[in-house]
Amino acid sequence: MIDIDLILPLEPFTLAVSWRTDERALGVFGPSGAGKTSLLEAIAGLRPGVRGHIRVGGRTWQDSASGFRLPTEERGVGYVPQDALLFPHKDVRANLLTGARRARQGRGARIDPERVLEILELRGRESAPVTALSGGERQRVALGRALCAGPELLLLDEPLGGLDLPLRRRILPYLLRVEREFGVPTIVVTHDAAEVRLLSHEAIVIENGRVVARGRPDDLFLGGEMLARRGAGGHTNILRGRVLVISDATASVDAGGGVVVSVPVSSGLVRGQDAAVLIGAEELIVAVESPHGLSAQNIVPGVVRDLIGEHPASVAVTVDVACSPTPLVAAVTPQACSRLGLASGRPIYLVWKTHACRAIASGPASSHKEIA
Amino acid sequence: MSDGVLAPLLLTLKVALVTTLVIVPLGALAGLLLARRRFAGVSVVETLLALPLVLPPTAVGYMLLRLLARDGPLGVKQLRFDLDLLLTWKGAVLAAAVMSLPLVARTARVAFEEVDPRLETMARTLGLGPLRTFFEITLPLARRGLLAAALLGFARALGEFGATVIVAGNIPGRTQTLALAIFSDLQAGDDRRALWLVGITVALAFAAVYAVEGLLRRRPRFA
Repeated sequence: MIDIDLILPLEPFTLAVSWRTDERALGVFGPSGAGKTSLLEAIAGLRPGVRGHIRVGGRTWQDSASGFRLPTEERGVGYVPQDALLFPHKDVRANLLTGARRARQGRGARIDPERVLEILELRGRESAPVTALSGGERQRVALGRALCAGPELLLLDEPLGGLDLPLRRRILPYLLRVEREFGVPTIVVTHDAAEVRLLSHEAIVIENGRVVARGRPDDLFLGGEMLARRGAGGHTNILRGRVLVISDATASVDAGGGVVVSVPVSSGLVRGQDAAVLIGAEELIVAVESPHGLSAQNIVPGVVRDLIGEHPASVAVTVDVACSPTPLVAAVTPQACSRLGLASGRPIYLVWKTHACRAIASGPASSHKEIA
Repeated sequence: MSDGVLAPLLLTLKVALVTTLVIVPLGALAGLLLARRRFAGVSVVETLLALPLVLPPTAVGYMLLRLLARDGPLGVKQLRFDLDLLLTWKGAVLAAAVMSLPLVARTARVAFEEVDPRLETMARTLGLGPLRTFFEITLPLARRGLLAAALLGFARALGEFGATVIVAGNIPGRTQTLALAIFSDLQAGDDRRALWLVGITVALAFAAVYAVEGLLRRRPRFA
């Protein structure tokens, strides 16, 4: 899908990224200042001084060997920056249609603006001035505007970065829906590991302008080295399943392996739908005996795989569970680890409250396909 | 209002209007270049452009006169045809244009500088070329500032005296604008007409500057 090999001198390091893959949902992860945005800008043709080549979908956008460089407006990118950058003098519809001419002439995805309004739930807001929109709506319009321009490659630069965490989690389903509905090849840049894992099938990790890791996002973020380096603190566990029942306040999600998870009801969740359940590593309580008499709804048996404990404040306890192909990670203090005698191979229970997790619709409402 | 008032008023409006039409595109272009392009000699261009603001208008008028004189660089002998500017209302336009351009260019520059260049970048990623980006994004976003620039230029042209009197002369009915007519009345002792003319110029200038202030105060909200 993409074939990139570029070098861009930056201060204080040089961005050097070589990436060739047939995957269409790509992620770029890394700390701020690592060169992630510069990489997207180089791909979009917004940076002078880029050497190397950029090929997307079999078409060359840039090749410094032959001195070829397609100007930005002919590249067919759809760029969504962190701060939306909507055109303040246009209403929602006019913003969406800004790139419609290219969409008609270009070779990118043919996307019906009406469908975009539908999918991003912007119907009824078409003639609103963009200054009247909420933060979440602004990001959706920015995303819709990029889609309506018929992009060959979507570049999402921290598309949720300007929003607080609860809002990010509410907007995330829209990104998943866009990926599913329109299937436009996408590179998403984020420093949120959960977003990379949900939105991409292949990711690179950039530090100081260099690619330090590359692979399937689940493998990347559950690898011992990565956990050791980042600590368990910011880790978010992801369980994939299907919505079984929705009641007034809670829903249950069948995560497979005989595990049904209780989650708070969130907007857009429909019975029978594929969903991802997000649980922070800090929210998981580890019990060595089967707990009873708890208010917490979720009690899942598992087996400790590993204790990764270079971080002084918390040990990352990886736990194999029947409901997930990848281990769950619980952040546990070193004291608790030794008190409970946690060790590799020990059977334990993971406990968390309904409200400690969040379900995100990750599949079409009418999905009947088996859970992967 | 005596008949002697109408002629200079209409001529002044005509001169100021034509001046505005001439200098707004030029001033906007200069403002855009100064706001967006980093080129060598920016400060020289800026200074040259600001000179008419501080030079005595008579000095500017004299330079224009030498430029347009029969044997000057833009005179009949050099060009082999007559630009026909000296002692005509078109000469008054030229004088007013040179004197007002700095104001228009500086105001336009600020107007363009207030447009976030990242919005232009965004337009280019959506497939808009440089020209369409300018007309679809930059120009509409700068429109209030540009309108203010035009009004300022118009107001400045209304009152132009020093350069005008040298290039266009002070011919009643042909090149005598309000500013020139007031001077003539003062010398001739026609206080009655002078007062009328002063009243009209104050009203015109007030209206223009008031509108400018309003335009510049109520900035568009940026998203």
